[in-house]
Amino acid sequence: MSDNHREHPTPKKYVQIAIFLGVLTAIEVALYYTEDIVGVFTDPLLIFLAIGKYVVVVGWFMHLRFENKMVNRFFAGGMILAVILFAIVMIERAAGDYFN
Amino acid sequence: MSGGHDYPHESTGVETRKLGMWVFLSTEILFFGTLITTFMIFKGRDFPGMKLTDVYDIPFTSVSSFVLLMSSLTMVLAHNALENEDQEKTRVWLLATAMLGSVFLAGQIYEFTEFYHKGFELSTNIFSSTFYVLTGFHGLHVFIGVVFLIGLWIIGQRQKGLSLDSGFNLEFIALYWHFVDIVWIVLFTVVYLI
Repeated sequence: MSDNHREHPTPKKYVQIAIFLGVLTAIEVALYYTEDIVGVFTDPLLIFLAIGKYVVVVGWFMHLRFENKMVNRFFAGGMILAVILFAIVMIERAAGDYFN
Repeated sequence: MSGGHDYPHESTGVETRKLGMWVFLSTEILFFGTLITTFMIFKGRDFPGMKLTDVYDIPFTSVSSFVLLMSSLTMVLAHNALENEDQEKTRVWLLATAMLGSVFLAGQIYEFTEFYHKGFELSTNIFSSTFYVLTGFHGLHVFIGVVFLIGLWIIGQRQKGLSLDSGFNLEFIALYWHFVDIVWIVLFTVVYLI
């Protein structure tokens, strides 16, 4: 049975979420220009911000957090497979760089 | 993006068409995941010819990213208006989404043209090929989304208006549109910022 009984956000809430996403984008761009100051933390922070934006859009705009568990599993399944593929190839690339 | 509907007649509890849409999006994640992985294999390596970092314009692409992000807001507002059976507002927000998508596409065409003039072409090296294939396929998805949105807007102009329960469904187009947005969230970081 469906378990999507939670109320969807109001238009006001959607605007607040969009402002939040805009602020995160501004921080991303600022990080790009302050790489010399932020140093080695720049890339991890950029990845963290991108994941944050991704989760907010999928959860609230696509309403995944209000959806049936089966829908969540299908979407998560695609994500997990893509991440595994990415990880395997990147490990292979790093190993190739190390041994060559 | 359910409007609170239950589908007790479906053994899954989810409308089959909607489940199909989510499965399709799941396969799209794998499609873009493969393209991003291929791009990352060649990123940071030395190739002959012009480099992406020599030609790109971060402020311009940042504005494009912001435009696409805001199109997700107008899309969700269109869906919300239709749930409240406000056909007029639904049409306005749909048109706004299509226009913002078109602005993003125009920006991408301008960007590609600039890159070509500066010497960063599809055949410059294998890295440039992966860049154009990755961002080009995303652009193609945005274009298809804009066509769907305009199609919905035209249907909404008819006397009967739009419905969440039948026909060319706004809910599924909205899912597709938000998906295109999340792909760009990843691409903006992976391709331009890192």
